[in-house]
Amino acid sequence: MSLVLKGVMQSPITPLKEDFSPDLATFEKMVDFHVRTGATAISWPHHKGESHNLTIPERKAMAEVAIKTVNKRVPISIHVSALALEDTYELARHAQKAGADAIIAITPYFWKYPLESIYNHFVKLGTTFDMPLIAYNSPDYLDGVEFTAELTQRLLEKLPNLIGMKDASFNSERFFEILRVALPMRPDFAMIAGVEYLLPSVCLGGKGSYSSAGAICPNLVNNLFDACESGNWKLARELQYKLSQLWHLFRDQYPSSLKGGMQIMGRNVGPTRAPLPTASPERIKHIEKTLAELGILDTEPHGW
Amino acid sequence: MSKFHFGLVHAPLTPFVDGKIDFETFDKAIEFHIAQGAEGLAIQTHAGESVSLPVDERKALLERAIKKAAGRVPVIANVSEAGTGIAVDLAKHAKAAGAAAVMASVPYYWTPPDSMLVEHFAAIAEAASLPTYLYNSPHEMNNVKIKTPTVMALIAKSSHIAGLIDVSMDWQFMIEVIADASRVKPEFQLVAGTEYMVSAHATGATGFLAPTAIVAPQLMKKLYEHVCQEKYKEAHDLQVDAAFLYRLFDRFGAAGLKVGAKLMARDCGQARPPLPVMDGVVVDEMAHELTKVKALATEKRGW
Repeated sequence: MSLVLKGVMQSPITPLKEDFSPDLATFEKMVDFHVRTGATAISWPHHKGESHNLTIPERKAMAEVAIKTVNKRVPISIHVSALALEDTYELARHAQKAGADAIIAITPYFWKYPLESIYNHFVKLGTTFDMPLIAYNSPDYLDGVEFTAELTQRLLEKLPNLIGMKDASFNSERFFEILRVALPMRPDFAMIAGVEYLLPSVCLGGKGSYSSAGAICPNLVNNLFDACESGNWKLARELQYKLSQLWHLFRDQYPSSLKGGMQIMGRNVGPTRAPLPTASPERIKHIEKTLAELGILDTEPHGW
Repeated sequence: MSKFHFGLVHAPLTPFVDGKIDFETFDKAIEFHIAQGAEGLAIQTHAGESVSLPVDERKALLERAIKKAAGRVPVIANVSEAGTGIAVDLAKHAKAAGAAAVMASVPYYWTPPDSMLVEHFAAIAEAASLPTYLYNSPHEMNNVKIKTPTVMALIAKSSHIAGLIDVSMDWQFMIEVIADASRVKPEFQLVAGTEYMVSAHATGATGFLAPTAIVAPQLMKKLYEHVCQEKYKEAHDLQVDAAFLYRLFDRFGAAGLKVGAKLMARDCGQARPPLPVMDGVVVDEMAHELTKVKALATEKRGW
């Protein structure tokens, strides 16, 4: 497979109108903003994009908008995870037909499946759909359901189109263990940190990240990747510490706070669907204060 | 207060003969670690079966290590105990015996709230009146975590809080704690308590506690030297071997580490009960696993 993932990739949030319906016009602006501000790839809808709060028809309709807006400027993958695997297969079928460059899927997790079930599911995804597949590992959120190194190895043996993994373990042992088995088998295999924890992941052999803060501060996340790539570790540390503060700010009721923060940057993307709260005016004030302290307001683009 | 630099610290095992401490072999171990590049010695960590040693034995081992090291390298006393009073007693003893620093884990058995952790660690730091390192190892300690606000509260409360030894390997925590702590106390140190030195150093760790150094001290030294020069990508193969050893001995525990030591002709006897006796199939399996570690080919055999 020709698709090689690298750098800071963006997973757009999902703009909503005041009545909580998808705001497709703003979604186009959002996707375009990411491509123009340096995203090396687009992937939608991650949990940051409220995937759980969208219906299957909504996900299909918006996937089409995203693919059309990206218009082959960078690769785009569609996140096809759903609790019912039939929905996942349906979303994958749709993504392929709509022209996505890849699909990304998380481990099924509701019933704490044995590794064999996860293996079978990914083999089915990878063999049914002749397109690049990205695995999504999130052991902390899924109570320990995860891609182990051994499972990853078996999937790599079986699936030539398994090109990478989004890893949200944020843990040296887990991240490196998968990398350790994957790289000798597939040198282009991309381990991608789930949030821009680029400093610890790139130095271990990671290829990039799906960005959390890219809708707020694309310059900061791109500069961090450049610093890691060029081995300017002192600068990388400084930027990573800043991004750590932002992550701890935003991960509270994620992605509500992120959407609130975007208002401050002149990119209004509306409310967040229940059960997530919409950021309150007080919360937005608090976010603005932190963004000011970190110098984000002066160094990052305002508006679309 | 003095600027104590943690550096590359080895964690000697506790040798036993018929269940009693074998001080002669312990002396040899101290010599070995110093000769093999330890910049400090931690007496006794979990690898040294601290939890199987009564207080009197812990004090005796600390005194012996300090005497044997004779100022060539600093000795860090592990004063971890679930009872604050006992930990405080160990901390006072550490100071009197000439330890350079102390380290302490959470009193996990009591499922302590954060406020209890602050009181516990502050009492230890004051009693030791030495650089004090907080040992964060949630997966060994019933998932009791030392959180960043706890560290910040301790820094404000005691000037002796010198750093945090991290075994969580959690990037979110490691980066948050070193970024926040160094902002108010620039000399605060993050210490990696596992052999994942590359990612730890990149995130800002300057100290490294390497329990597997009894098996592969030169590997640890080389990896340490690489990361200190920020040669992270060049360190890949060394990190692969070090990670393999970490995982192997995480699986087999302190008793397994003694098997590893014995396979390198550094016999420290069996671990104390309730740790299992390691013989037969387990030893064969570990010997086989160790053949996968390239770096072991050039490591010294014997003391």
